[in-house]
Amino acid sequence: MIMTSYTKQDVLLQATDVSLSYDRKCILYDIHFTVRDIVRPGLQQGQVVSLVGRSGIGKTQLFRLLSGLQRPDSGEITIRERVPSARPDGSIQVYRERIVQPGDMGVIFQNYYQFGWRTVQQSLMLAARQNKALTGKEEDAIRQYTQQFDIADVLSRYPAQLSGGQQQRVSIIQQLLKGSDFLLLDEPFSGLDVCVLDKVVELLLQVSLSDELKTLIIVSHDIATAAAISDTVFILGKKPGHEGSTLVREIDLIERGLAWRKDVRQEKAFGDTIQEIKGCL
Amino acid sequence: MASRFNKVIMFKPFEKLNRQTFLILVVAQSAFALLAWQVSGQGLIPHPSAVLAALGHLLTTRLFVDNLLTSLLLTGQALLYSVVITLVLAYGAVIPFFAPLAQFIVKCRYLTLTGLIFIFTLLTRDGSQLKLSLLLFGIVPFLVTSFLAVILRTPAQEFELCQTLGYNRWQSLYEVIIIGKADQVFEVVRQNFAIAWMMITMVEGLNMSEGGIGALLIKYNKYNDLPHVLALQAVIFGIGLCLDYLLGTLRHWLFPYTKL
Repeated sequence: MIMTSYTKQDVLLQATDVSLSYDRKCILYDIHFTVRDIVRPGLQQGQVVSLVGRSGIGKTQLFRLLSGLQRPDSGEITIRERVPSARPDGSIQVYRERIVQPGDMGVIFQNYYQFGWRTVQQSLMLAARQNKALTGKEEDAIRQYTQQFDIADVLSRYPAQLSGGQQQRVSIIQQLLKGSDFLLLDEPFSGLDVCVLDKVVELLLQVSLSDELKTLIIVSHDIATAAAISDTVFILGKKPGHEGSTLVREIDLIERGLAWRKDVRQEKAFGDTIQEIKGCL
Repeated sequence: MASRFNKVIMFKPFEKLNRQTFLILVVAQSAFALLAWQVSGQGLIPHPSAVLAALGHLLTTRLFVDNLLTSLLLTGQALLYSVVITLVLAYGAVIPFFAPLAQFIVKCRYLTLTGLIFIFTLLTRDGSQLKLSLLLFGIVPFLVTSFLAVILRTPAQEFELCQTLGYNRWQSLYEVIIIGKADQVFEVVRQNFAIAWMMITMVEGLNMSEGGIGALLIKYNKYNDLPHVLALQAVIFGIGLCLDYLLGTLRHWLFPYTKL
């Protein structure tokens, strides 16, 4: 087992006692989890968290709650926001905690939805203009990202003219340009062929290393692929005697020496962990 | 061999024909219909050859061209005003305060113009205004109905994408409804243009002093000149098809993504 030096520091995201019902039918209950800033010496190490569970267990509902697009019936989801503000004692507080709102998280929907009437360039510009840090440098940022993600040649195309992989990359760049620290991805591996899947995995790892506070939350039922790039796996499942779903297990892959490793799928310990996760579903 | 193949697929449900085959089918069926009309037409109903002769005569007269231009101008004016009114009402309908007004306009489809002509006559200054206001009253409810349906069909994901980009509600309205549905305005106008074109002959009949194709139609009807009546109908039909094609082409040109 390879142990890597790291520390878990400030809370970046916290779900506290979250529950959700539809027509008096409980969908989610008692959801508690915390995502902390992982610090690795000499690296800009972001966080990659997977939320796995069987189909129909409520993953998409939890995804919507995390994105702020839907409010929980009870409980709250808070995030740490970078807002420099003066404290009464004269010191500067750089971060503040607040309840997640729509727009706080970069959201990549399962079908990589984009405005059909906007070209890639226009869509990316819309997102870049929302990011105050990019004011006046929007064009440069778009050029840089599209070259990095290998889609610089499709800027004048409409979404209907793009392949699934290209659409996904446009969605990711769009949300990155918006400048959110959090990136929520709904089933990013579904329907991809093996070659494209490898590229997407590489891309997500690249994103996670782009900023210390960059936090990817992957909602997926592809346990092996999600776990292979994550540092933590949360398992959404059912408990006997309860109607809805809740988080039944949290697996810290860093502690097990299974995080941040390209060849992790070859490890016996990784295979055992996947079996363990499957056992919890 | 290919011809036999085409013959077979022509009668298969949900089969798609290529453009050339479809055009041949349209031409052949039209020719057959004209032939059947020519052979079976008798008595008061004129033969296609008589209608064609009347059409030839019409096209050479200055009177026809002037009347046609009058009708086209009035229709264009009515459509332009109708679109502006419709957009104001439909965009306003997403704001709850204005929604009842838009819903009332939608229900106005069930009002007939016949009983309201006198009211409109009292409310307007001259024949030109009367015709225009009647056309607006006839067109706007249908345009608003169609455009509101477009707005209601907007996928939730379009608004959610706006939310994830941090847009406020006004920005979402601008992006999703005003910009995102701009191509649909053309489609709605194209689909409802037929109503305007159909109504023009009716309102021109109410006030004949300024002429127009409707006034001309009534004149020929009065003298029971059926070849000219049918020739005018053919012109109305042909211009309707041309304008329909023009609006469709304009939509594709202005909004290239609609072709994808």
